[in-house]
Amino acid sequence: MNTNYAAPSDLGRIQGVALGIGLLGIVAWVIGLTLSGNVREIFFHSYLVAFVFWAGIALGCLGMLMIQYLGGATWGLIIRRPLESGSHTLILMAILFIPVAVGLGNIYEWMHRESITDEKLRAMLDHKSLWLNPKFFIVRTAIYFAVWLLLMLVLRKRSHKLDETGDPALIQSAQDWSGPGFLLYAIACTFAAIDWVMSLDAEWFSTIFGMLLIVGQGVAAIAFIISVCVILSRREPMNHVLKPKHFHDLGKLLLALVMVWAYFSFSQLLIMWSGNLPEEIPWYIERFKGTWGYLGIALILGHFFLPFVLLLSRDLKRNGRRLVFVAWLVIIMRFIDLLWLIVPEFEHGHPGHLKDYLIYIASTVGMGGLWLGWFFWQLRSKALVPYNDPLLPEALAAGGGH
Amino acid sequence: MAEVFKKEGYVDPRPPVLGPGHNFRSISEKIGDIVLMRGFQKGWVFGFAIVFLGALMLFNTIGYLVLKGVGIWGNSIPVAWAFDIINFVWWIGIGHAGTLISAILLLLRQSWRNSINRFAEAMTLFAVACAGLFPALHTGRPWVDYWLFPYPNTMGMWPNFRSPLMWDVFAVSTYATVSLLFWFMGLIPDFAGLRDSAKNKVQRSIYGLLAMGWRGDARHWQRYETAYLLLAGLSTPLVLSVHTIVSYDFSVGIIPGWHATIFPPYFVAGAIYAGFAMVLTLAIPVRKFYHLEDFITIRHIRNMCKVMLATGLIVGYGYLMELFMSWYSANTYEMFMMKNRIFGPYGYMYWLLILCNVLVPQLLWIKKFRDKLGVVFLVSMFINVGMWLERFVIIVMSLNRDFLPASWRMYKPTVFDFTMFFGTIGFFLTCMFLFIRFVPMIPIFEMKTLLPESKVDEHKVEEHISGTSVGANPLPQFGD
Repeated sequence: MNTNYAAPSDLGRIQGVALGIGLLGIVAWVIGLTLSGNVREIFFHSYLVAFVFWAGIALGCLGMLMIQYLGGATWGLIIRRPLESGSHTLILMAILFIPVAVGLGNIYEWMHRESITDEKLRAMLDHKSLWLNPKFFIVRTAIYFAVWLLLMLVLRKRSHKLDETGDPALIQSAQDWSGPGFLLYAIACTFAAIDWVMSLDAEWFSTIFGMLLIVGQGVAAIAFIISVCVILSRREPMNHVLKPKHFHDLGKLLLALVMVWAYFSFSQLLIMWSGNLPEEIPWYIERFKGTWGYLGIALILGHFFLPFVLLLSRDLKRNGRRLVFVAWLVIIMRFIDLLWLIVPEFEHGHPGHLKDYLIYIASTVGMGGLWLGWFFWQLRSKALVPYNDPLLPEALAAGGGH
Repeated sequence: MAEVFKKEGYVDPRPPVLGPGHNFRSISEKIGDIVLMRGFQKGWVFGFAIVFLGALMLFNTIGYLVLKGVGIWGNSIPVAWAFDIINFVWWIGIGHAGTLISAILLLLRQSWRNSINRFAEAMTLFAVACAGLFPALHTGRPWVDYWLFPYPNTMGMWPNFRSPLMWDVFAVSTYATVSLLFWFMGLIPDFAGLRDSAKNKVQRSIYGLLAMGWRGDARHWQRYETAYLLLAGLSTPLVLSVHTIVSYDFSVGIIPGWHATIFPPYFVAGAIYAGFAMVLTLAIPVRKFYHLEDFITIRHIRNMCKVMLATGLIVGYGYLMELFMSWYSANTYEMFMMKNRIFGPYGYMYWLLILCNVLVPQLLWIKKFRDKLGVVFLVSMFINVGMWLERFVIIVMSLNRDFLPASWRMYKPTVFDFTMFFGTIGFFLTCMFLFIRFVPMIPIFEMKTLLPESKVDEHKVEEHISGTSVGANPLPQFGD
């Protein structure tokens, strides 16, 4: 067993495969767009879904990284490097935001305030225009990314320095940053959720929405990390490191997050459904119709019941190769959840057929190639485990530290 | 266990969860003697006398209330819910810390909880008892409260299950039952220990009865551990559901200020916030009075401060979201509600709330303050007050100025509102005094598991085989 925990050489091959699949996705996307007739609109719509999906995983990684420092659970440092690599993709996501900024007019209804004839709606949008205007929107997103990138770079610097020096003060410093950092992160994520997703329906509002998306990011990130850990656990050197215990812990975390997601989602639905107010309920009515109704049921089953029941099993959680199937299910469900949140807003009450949504899969896979390429490039560039962390021997112990 | 896995020269910077120099015997004696000693300490008698006066005030108020009716309170349309519901939510929130500490932290394997859990569980029970009083009396005719339960009757009455208030009945009663079971079951091994070291017959027979035939048999322990974990698993969703349903009491309605989707997590966080503040409010004096510094260490105080800071920030996040969304909604009533909250006739309550719940607790960011008991105690007091104000702001200020300005009316509590509220505090403290005197407030056997001598695991067996010595330090606890 090598003690410098260098990434296995065939990680490069996996990176290549990811890029290849991504390329296929882009080809499919281009074909789909040319067939669609309304290239510009559909491009930006499908782009936004892909962007929110991958930004979500990147942000989830950053949030989990800070929680990992704050919680101080020693097993968490086993996944520190994958989380760091995942959050490093925020640089890519910041660049990938540019097309969203270009396509604001094609994405957001509130961009066309002037052309709205309904007086009440117009008055409402006039009131909101202080917040929902293109300049401020872009400035805000720049601020969000500045916050996230700062936190990411600060934590990364400390972690890499720790590899060189092994100075425990660096961990303390990372912890000290993570406390206020998580607060800033959560506020930035909340307003990003409001801006990027909630404002698609300029009238609708929900105070839990930010938390709902933050938890969704956490779910996606942990499911993704489980998948990465399974890949790593079949190769040197991580096959000596990742034990059933670690998968057990990751599985429990996924279970908890899935439950929190269901709790938030259910609460929002119950409160709005009971209130039945004209400014709130149309959002749900649109999502109960046609294909969206079926996808909604799929979410209840696939984003909660099925993973919940499966993850109760101790054997399944301890077996990475089985756990990874639940993780994939959850990742797919995260995608469907985002579709369910975003796409009905582009249809104005006329839900399409399932095949109309294939373009969203193509765009997400296409962007995913780039994202995963960036991720694996980062993962390969450093030791897979922070080997100079003073708590590492304990995290590696068969029992897994708590 | 972990010491040998540490890199050389690395010292865990955290203080131990158990003071040094203890063994099995010293733990039993230190905690057991508080219960088994003869007579009463002067301080205890003095304190008990004061808080019992408070309890008497409560009993008198209830007596008068039942004779005269709820008209003696200040509740009046449009403010039909006032002190009664505020106090109900306040008390039930306080109760949540007990379950959180004993169940959730157990599941998360945070063994620092071992010293404060019993104490916090007792607090839960008494707080839930106080909480239950208010809605039970608010029905106006408490002698027919059993109508709340669905049972076949000739009156053709059936509770409305679409109302969250009904869910409350079931959530709170289930929660109270499970909390009681959890608390009592955890006490059984300690009751057995007290029975065995009892100094007279009375003690022996009472604790013997309570110990339910516990002999410390391996099978007893095995079943105990399984049942304890199962109950913890049951309590965890319960504790979340109770306050979630309490939040539904408000958010399912459409009153601006009540109807907010963030209420469930924000209420749960608020409950934990208030609960930890109350645990600290009680633990700090008790620790000093009974010299329990070795068991409730500075590590416990620090950890509780961190939980308080985290949950307090979630509560602050809730305020921020409410503030932002009321403007963002562009809804006349939502915007008015927020304006009324901040600048209305009760505006000072909102500002006090921000001071108590958001500003003052930020002191806990600073390490130095988390170690200063005086500061921690003061901050906890601010939070206790702040969480009460929060419920006042939500409940009364949303009701007293509703959609129709013609029905606006200021709310004025009467003297009975206050005697009832302070009376429950007296009753609660009376129960706590009795608990501390007659029941071991720190689980003796769980404290013993923190001693290095009690650890038998594979690593240690390996150590013994290989002949390396075992450190005399208590196990470092990870994850705080």
